[in-house]
Amino acid sequence: MIQMFAQSFVNGVNLGALYGLAAVGLSLAFGVMKMMNVAHGEFIMLGSYIAYWLFMLFDIDPFLGIPIVAFVLFLIGAVLYKLLFSGMVTFHEELKLKNSLLVAFGLFLVLPEVAKLLWTGDERMLTPSYSGSSFGLFGVRFGYVPTIGLLVSLAVITLLQLFLNKTYFGKSARATADNWKAAKMMGVNDARTYIITFAIGAALAGIAGVLVGLSGALTPGMGIGWTIKALIVVVLAGMGSIGGAFIAGLILGVAEAVSAIFMGPYAITVGLILFLLILMFRPQGLFARG
Amino acid sequence: MISMTKRSKQASAWGAAVFLLMLVPIVTLRNDVLSFLLTFFLYITLAQSWNLIGGYAGQMNLGHGAFFGLGVIISRHLWLGVGLPIPLAIMGGALAALLMGLIIGIPAFRLKDIYFVMGTLVFAEILRIIVYTNLPRASVMPMNYLTHYSLVPRYYLSLVVAVIAIVVMYVISKAKVGLGLTAIREDEDAAGCLGVGLLRHKLFAFTVSTFFAGMAGGVFAYYSVAVTAGHMFEHLWTFDAVIIAFVGGVGTILGPVVGAVFFAFLKQFLSMYMPEGVHVAVFGVLFILVVLLLPGGLIELIRKIRGR
Amino acid sequence: MLEVMDINVFHGDIQALWDVSMTLQDGEIVTLIGANGAGKSTIAETIAGFIIPASGSVLFDGVRIDDEQVHKVVDMGICLVPEDKGIFPSMNVLENLEMGAFTAKARKARDETIRTIYELFPILKIRSKQLAGTLSGGEQQMLAIGRGIMSKAKLLILDEPSLGLAPQITEEIFEVVYQIHKTGVSILLVEQNVHIALGLANRAYIIENGRVTKHGEARALLDDEHVMDAYLGTGM
Repeated sequence: MIQMFAQSFVNGVNLGALYGLAAVGLSLAFGVMKMMNVAHGEFIMLGSYIAYWLFMLFDIDPFLGIPIVAFVLFLIGAVLYKLLFSGMVTFHEELKLKNSLLVAFGLFLVLPEVAKLLWTGDERMLTPSYSGSSFGLFGVRFGYVPTIGLLVSLAVITLLQLFLNKTYFGKSARATADNWKAAKMMGVNDARTYIITFAIGAALAGIAGVLVGLSGALTPGMGIGWTIKALIVVVLAGMGSIGGAFIAGLILGVAEAVSAIFMGPYAITVGLILFLLILMFRPQGLFARG
Repeated sequence: MISMTKRSKQASAWGAAVFLLMLVPIVTLRNDVLSFLLTFFLYITLAQSWNLIGGYAGQMNLGHGAFFGLGVIISRHLWLGVGLPIPLAIMGGALAALLMGLIIGIPAFRLKDIYFVMGTLVFAEILRIIVYTNLPRASVMPMNYLTHYSLVPRYYLSLVVAVIAIVVMYVISKAKVGLGLTAIREDEDAAGCLGVGLLRHKLFAFTVSTFFAGMAGGVFAYYSVAVTAGHMFEHLWTFDAVIIAFVGGVGTILGPVVGAVFFAFLKQFLSMYMPEGVHVAVFGVLFILVVLLLPGGLIELIRKIRGR
Repeated sequence: MLEVMDINVFHGDIQALWDVSMTLQDGEIVTLIGANGAGKSTIAETIAGFIIPASGSVLFDGVRIDDEQVHKVVDMGICLVPEDKGIFPSMNVLENLEMGAFTAKARKARDETIRTIYELFPILKIRSKQLAGTLSGGEQQMLAIGRGIMSKAKLLILDEPSLGLAPQITEEIFEVVYQIHKTGVSILLVEQNVHIALGLANRAYIIENGRVTKHGEARALLDDEHVMDAYLGTGM
C-alpha cells in the first residue's frame, strides 16, 4: 500500500516537473509582456518533433539535443513574435491581452497543420535505447528517462532563476514585468526585452517538448493538451511567478498521480477542477507576487 | 422613407435567398449537395449563436462546443432512446443546453476577461473527458430508421433552424437588450455605471447562445447516422464557430453568414486538392490577418470595396 | 542645456499642451508649478520621450530629442522620476537601485553611487534587502530619487516628489535634492507644493490649462500676487 503511494508520488514528481517546465515559459511571457500565448503548447509540440528529427536523422540523443532544440525554438519564437505580436505592445492591457489571445489562437490552428505536413499525422515515438529501463530503490521504480528528465527540469529552472536574478537582462525583464514605464525610464529597451523574453519562453517550451516527446507519443495535435496544462499551472501559481510555476507544476503532477489510485482515468480532471476552484476562490494564485 | 426601402430591400434579398434554398431539394436530390448545404446551415447556426455571446457581448466563450455536444446526445437519446418525435427531442436538447448555460453562466461570469476565456475552455475540456470516458461507443441509427433515411427533411430542418437563429439574433440586436450587450462589449465598466445590468445581460446572451448551440446539436443528432459522443464535445466545434464569426465579421448579423459561406466553400474546394485539415491552417492564417489587419472581417472588406 | 520650443502635445485626440516653451541651463533648478491636471507631468513625460509632440521640438545639449525613444533619451543623460515613483515592487531595494544604473555609463560607477545614496538616505541601507513594494510612501520616494541618482543623469526630472508625503519627510527629501544639485546635477522639478518648489528653484514656470502663463525668477514669483492668489493654500 505504502509502496503504491510511494510509486505514485515518484511518478507524480516526474510528471509535475514536466508540467512545471512546460508552464514556466508561459508564465515568463505573460509576466513580462502581459500577453497570453495560447499557442504555447504548439511550441512544446515543435520541440518534441525537432528532437525526433535530430534523433532519427542525425542520431543525436534527445537529451544531448536539448540545446539545439532550445536554440531552434528561440529563433522560431523570435520570428513569430516580430511578425505577429510586436505591433501590440503599445496597446493598453485589456486589448493587448485579448488580441494576443486571438492571434495565438490563430497560431494554434496553423502550427499543427504545419506539423502534419512535415511529419504526417501518424503517431511518432521518440525511443532511445534506454527508454523503458529503470532502476529500483526502496521498492520503487525510477525510470531512467523520467529521472534524467527531472534533473534536466531542475537544472533549467535553476539556470532560469539565476538568469532572472543575477544578470542585467534578467533583472530588466523582471523590472519590465513590474512596471514597464519605469523600466523604460531606466534605459531598458522594452522592444528588445519583449522579443527576447518571448523567444526564451519558446525555447523553454522547446526543452519541455523534448522531455514530453520522450514520455509519450508525438502527434501534431498534442499541443492543445499541453497548453491547457500550462495554463492550469500558471493560474495555480499566480500569473508571473516563475519559481511558483514550477512548484505548482509539481503539486499538480503529484495530485494527478496520487488521485489516479482512486479515480482512474478521471485523474486528469483533478487538475481541471483544481483550476476552476482556484479561479473561483483565489484567482491571484497560490504564489502571487507582492 | 429611404430607410424603409433599404430595409425592405434587404428583407426581400434575404427572403429570396431562403426561398431559393427551399427549392433546392426539388431541383436535386443529390446527397452530396444536400449534405453540403445542410452542414453549411449548421455552421451558420453555430457561428450565429456564438456571435451573440462572443461578438455582441464581447465575452469570448471557448466552451460553445460543449453545449452543441450536449444538444446532440440529449436529443439523440430523447429521439432514439425515449422515442420522442424529432421536434420534441430537438427542443429537449436545446433546453438542456440552455439549462447548462444558466448553471455554468452564473459562476463563469464572475470571472473577468481572460479568466472567463480559460474557465470556459477548461469546462469544455472537463465535459469532453467525462463524456469520452463514459460513452465511448458510437450510437448508430437502428435499421428501421436507416431504411427510411432521407436527407430532405433533415435539410429543411437545418435550414429552418438557421433561419430562426438569424432572425432571433437580428431581433435581439435591434432591441434594447442588444444595445446593452454592445455597451458591455465596448466598455463593461462604463456600461455598468450607466445602469446596464451586467450579469442579466450576459446571462441572457449566453443562454440564448447555448440554446441555439443545443438546437444545432439536435439537428446534427437527427442527421448523423453514427454519433460518437466524445467527438461531439471536441473543441473543433467551438473553434469552427469562432473562426467563422471572426473571419466573416464578428459582432454583425451578416458576418457569420458570410463567414460560413466562405468557410464551407473554401473547405470543400481545398479538400479536393489538399490533404485534409489544410483548410484549418488556411483559416488560421485568415484569422490572424483579420485580428491584426481587418477586425471587422469580410464584412468590413466588402464595405471598404463598396465604399470606393 | 534643455530647450523646449513651442510644443503642442495631444493625449489621443485631446490637446494637453499649447505652444509650451521653456529652457533650463546647466546647473539650474527649474520648477514647473501648477494645479492638478494643468499639464506639468505631460511636459515632463514629453521631455523624457514617452510622448511625441505633435509640433514643436525639444533640444538637449543642442540635439533634438523629441522624436527619440525613451531609452535613447536616458542614454543622453535625462532621468525621469515619475509621479507614481515607478519602483519595482517585486524587487528589493538594492535591486531597484541597481536597475537605476542600467546604462553602461552608470553601471561603471554603480557601487560607488550606491554608497553615496546610502549616505544620503540611511534608511535605504537598512532596508536594502526588503521588497520595494513593502516600503512606506516616503521610503519609496527616497528609493525613486536614489534610483534617479544611480543613472548618473545630467538632468533629473522629478515629478511631484512631495505627493502624499508628510511635511517632515518632504523636507528631508528636498534637502537631499538640494545636495544632489550641489554635485552638479540639473533639476527640473514638477510640483504642486508651490512654497517648497519656489524655495528650492532658481526659476519657475507656471502652467495653467496646458499653457505657460508666467515665468521668471523663483524669488520674484514668490512675492507675486497673482501666484499667491491662484495657489494660496495649495500644496501639502
